[in-house]
Amino acid sequence: MFDFDVIIKNLPYLLSGVKFTLALACLVIILGTFLGMILGLSKLSKNFLIRYPANLIVEITRDTPIIMQMFFIFFGLPALGIRLTTFPSAAIAMSLFAAGNTAEIIRGAIDSLPTGQFDAAKSLGMNYLQMMIYVIIPQALRRMIPPAMGLFTTLIKDTSLAAIIGAFELTRAGQEIIERTFRSLEIYLVVAAIYFIICYPLSYYTRKVEKQRVTGF
Amino acid sequence: MAYQFDLSVIIKYLPLFLKGVFLTVEISFLAILIGLPVGILAAVARTSRFKILNLVGAVYVEVFRNTPLLIQIFIIFFGLPGIGIKLSPYISGLTALVLYVGAYNTEVIRAGLEAVPSGQIEAAKSLGLTGVQTFFHIILPQTFRISLPALGNNWVALVKNSSLVSVIGMVELTWVTFDLNALTFRSFELFGAATIFYLILIFILINIQAFVEKRFLYKT
Repeated sequence: MFDFDVIIKNLPYLLSGVKFTLALACLVIILGTFLGMILGLSKLSKNFLIRYPANLIVEITRDTPIIMQMFFIFFGLPALGIRLTTFPSAAIAMSLFAAGNTAEIIRGAIDSLPTGQFDAAKSLGMNYLQMMIYVIIPQALRRMIPPAMGLFTTLIKDTSLAAIIGAFELTRAGQEIIERTFRSLEIYLVVAAIYFIICYPLSYYTRKVEKQRVTGF
Repeated sequence: MAYQFDLSVIIKYLPLFLKGVFLTVEISFLAILIGLPVGILAAVARTSRFKILNLVGAVYVEVFRNTPLLIQIFIIFFGLPGIGIKLSPYISGLTALVLYVGAYNTEVIRAGLEAVPSGQIEAAKSLGLTGVQTFFHIILPQTFRISLPALGNNWVALVKNSSLVSVIGMVELTWVTFDLNALTFRSFELFGAATIFYLILIFILINIQAFVEKRFLYKT
């Protein structure tokens, strides 16, 4: 029946997978936030030559499964002569997904600010950059934090998809152990528990921040 | 070596693609349908006065929201046979999707339940409605209206997540694409086509949701 030995014996190998999961998640969050900021501000641009391409990228990255984007980059791009190994493919695909979602969060937060804030900044003689840096972004940032943290939780969970194209991380580590030991239930439950330990504090904190915002803004 | 684009492969295998699209639509639709009562039940448990129900609801939501769907599918399909529960890929995939979307629905519906003004419940009581009547005729319809936009987000995520059931061998859009890729090596065209199919599906879903929202939301 339930075999605890196999868990204890293989835990170090799983933890070596955790390192890659966390590395992938951090990389994706940093790259995604940076790209997402550019996309989000482009979406708000008045110039349609900037706005339309940004909209297109955001829609494509948000409305297709990450696994499809990974396949596209890993299997499809070599057709154009761009060959990437598994880990960079997964990282790029997920960063694009993260960027699209971050862009939507940023646009949503800035759009939700009262227009009076923009008018006030302009009437004080601020230019676009000053208005953004001193007036809009500090306020929008507070509204971005809860959805952005929700996105980060999703991203950490979705790093498990990298295992499908064969990148080594927690899920792949689990699969390798199962190929050796055939104890699927035990190993997958432990893998799930590890993901839970990583994600739960984040989602708990997200809810706390959300509540604070409702009561104390 | 230059790569020659060949879109004829898409046209040649279009029937297979459409079969995949059909299964994606079918499993997404079923998961949306079954996920709703699951979410309502769990949300009622979450808001109930009984501590145990409350706890069960909370554990369900937290466990399913904080672990990857892929692992949940693996546990149901590969793990459960270890304790004697063998499910087909179809049932495994659907169960995982329902439980996953159900957990997200729970949070949305719970927020909706809490947003119904208490005056509504008092009014129902003073009209002599029973608890069950109050719930089904007064609270639930209003909750649905409040929750619909957020539920729509869950449904869009669900259609995208349905791609994951391909890993246990369900012949839906992602699986078909992957299989054709192994057959023809036309990766760029095939994954491009699949991406467009998903975009169309999501686009249709978003529009249906927007229509329903307009029809029911602003008619108070």
